[in-house]
Amino acid sequence: MSKPALMRHMPQIAHVDVNCFYASAERAFNPSLEGKPVIVLSNNDGCAVTRSPEAKALGIGMGDPWFKLAPRAKEWGLVALSSNYELYGDISSRVMELLGRYSAWLEVYSIDEAFLGVKGSPAELLAMGRSMKAAVRRNVGVPVCVGIAPTKTLAKLANKWAKNNKAFDGVCHWDSIPAAQRESLLGRLSVEEVWGIAGRLTRRLNVMGIFTIADLVGADPVAIRDKFSVVLMRTVLELQGTPCIPMEEERIGRDQLIFSRSFAKPITTAAGIRQVMSVYGQQASARLAKHGLQAKVLTAFAGTSHFNPKDTSYPSVCVPLPMPTADPVILTKAGHALLPRIVEGVRYPRAGIMVTDLRPSGNQAPLSLFENPHEERHIGTLLEDVTRRYGRGSIGLGHGGIRGGPDWTMKRDMLSPRYTTHWDELPLVKAA
Amino acid sequence: MSVIVGPRVIDAGTSLLSVLVSPVPVAAGFPSPAQDYFDGRIDLNAHLIKDVTSTYVVRVSGESMHGAGISDGDELIVDRALEPRDGSVVVAVLDGELTIKRLRITPKGVILQAENPAYPDIEVPALSDLTIWGTAVRCLHHV
Repeated sequence: MSKPALMRHMPQIAHVDVNCFYASAERAFNPSLEGKPVIVLSNNDGCAVTRSPEAKALGIGMGDPWFKLAPRAKEWGLVALSSNYELYGDISSRVMELLGRYSAWLEVYSIDEAFLGVKGSPAELLAMGRSMKAAVRRNVGVPVCVGIAPTKTLAKLANKWAKNNKAFDGVCHWDSIPAAQRESLLGRLSVEEVWGIAGRLTRRLNVMGIFTIADLVGADPVAIRDKFSVVLMRTVLELQGTPCIPMEEERIGRDQLIFSRSFAKPITTAAGIRQVMSVYGQQASARLAKHGLQAKVLTAFAGTSHFNPKDTSYPSVCVPLPMPTADPVILTKAGHALLPRIVEGVRYPRAGIMVTDLRPSGNQAPLSLFENPHEERHIGTLLEDVTRRYGRGSIGLGHGGIRGGPDWTMKRDMLSPRYTTHWDELPLVKAA
Repeated sequence: MSVIVGPRVIDAGTSLLSVLVSPVPVAAGFPSPAQDYFDGRIDLNAHLIKDVTSTYVVRVSGESMHGAGISDGDELIVDRALEPRDGSVVVAVLDGELTIKRLRITPKGVILQAENPAYPDIEVPALSDLTIWGTAVRCLHHV
């Protein structure tokens, strides 16, 4: 699979993601967690959604329920934390803003990963990957790994190698790996390691005699399309080195929804971005409603083109919403937090929003009085009732309100401070 | 009932970039970020934050930096991207805690100095033995 010299400077794709993102974000502000097994729990403190390597080493699996782990936590020295989406959202927006400085083309793929279009000689690409890794660690404070390859699927795979093989030191450039080594690795790895291939598909592929990634690389894309789907055909083509997975305008992650796109004609005004935010706000609202979900944190971002290095701007802001919501008006208004950061006259070919901290709308059912904040309600009486029932500090209004907003149905016993989005929860530094 | 009253975002108002397009003449020397605000109120973010990706605000607990004008309860603006130098006020990781000290780099070794005679200095063999979390650039002292 060695490339002819001509091909060397073809555009490549860098896949960057934060290692154990939620746990790393917590560690950035609480260094005492370094080296300890740390897990972050899903909403409601249900199950482990992020595990530090130390927690994985204890045999804790993704999705293991907390009630099963809790009895042994002390013995293990295991630290469990509730998910702190305001913190993760802000750290995410910093990472994305920083990565945006490296490329004209950045696709925020999820809260903790992005694809970037990159170009250069193998040495330059490796240097760029290392620079990204060092910059995110230094500026933001979280560790990332970088995989660089001709396609998204290969870049994902390269990233996985970077993570699992210490020799790469966190940055893997696909084309720089000797072909023999690449082939031997592909021959050992199960197809399940490939982006987008999960359990059931793996079994169907196995039936066809496709077990390793090498088997899949050798498969006929057309036959794969006929037996499976266009999606899997694309995967095969990508593994063979042909980029064919386009940017998705709408992505649904485990605990986030992302809406973003590149514009045919760059937007040059805050007013233009305002319009885009309304579109995204409505899309997000519709999608949330469809899944019966509400969001509590929104991140809005935009970016300029790298090809115009004089006018660079990659604003990204994280906005804690006053309450879990799927209301298009609130989501749109939150997106407007980006507007002051938009530089008039600068060309922005892309923008997007991400909503996180999703929870079922049903959670709010007993207190549905809050569901539509645009209607006049007897808030005062309600506040009193809630305070009486749930205790002081369980409810409040606006800025002076309580931590986390009206979260009374949400169990978050082990929530760390919202270090970067709340003035009264700033990280403490000891002067002693 | 108002919704989203001033989203709680810690974030710079804009990049230095807009300085370049400002119609206000810029005198020789480093342009002031204030230049972009020729048409509005003073924006503290624009003045106090150089890089939004690397700037955090932390709160001081304790009096060991009193001599540097940093008191218990003050907020510090910390830039993680700055290279700490001899004399920098840094946030260092000591025993798993974020701790504020004056960094002294001497031929004999590295010293984390308190700015209060009641607190001892901490000697470190080399800078590499130390995790510097960030460099304080401003103190928001409560007067």
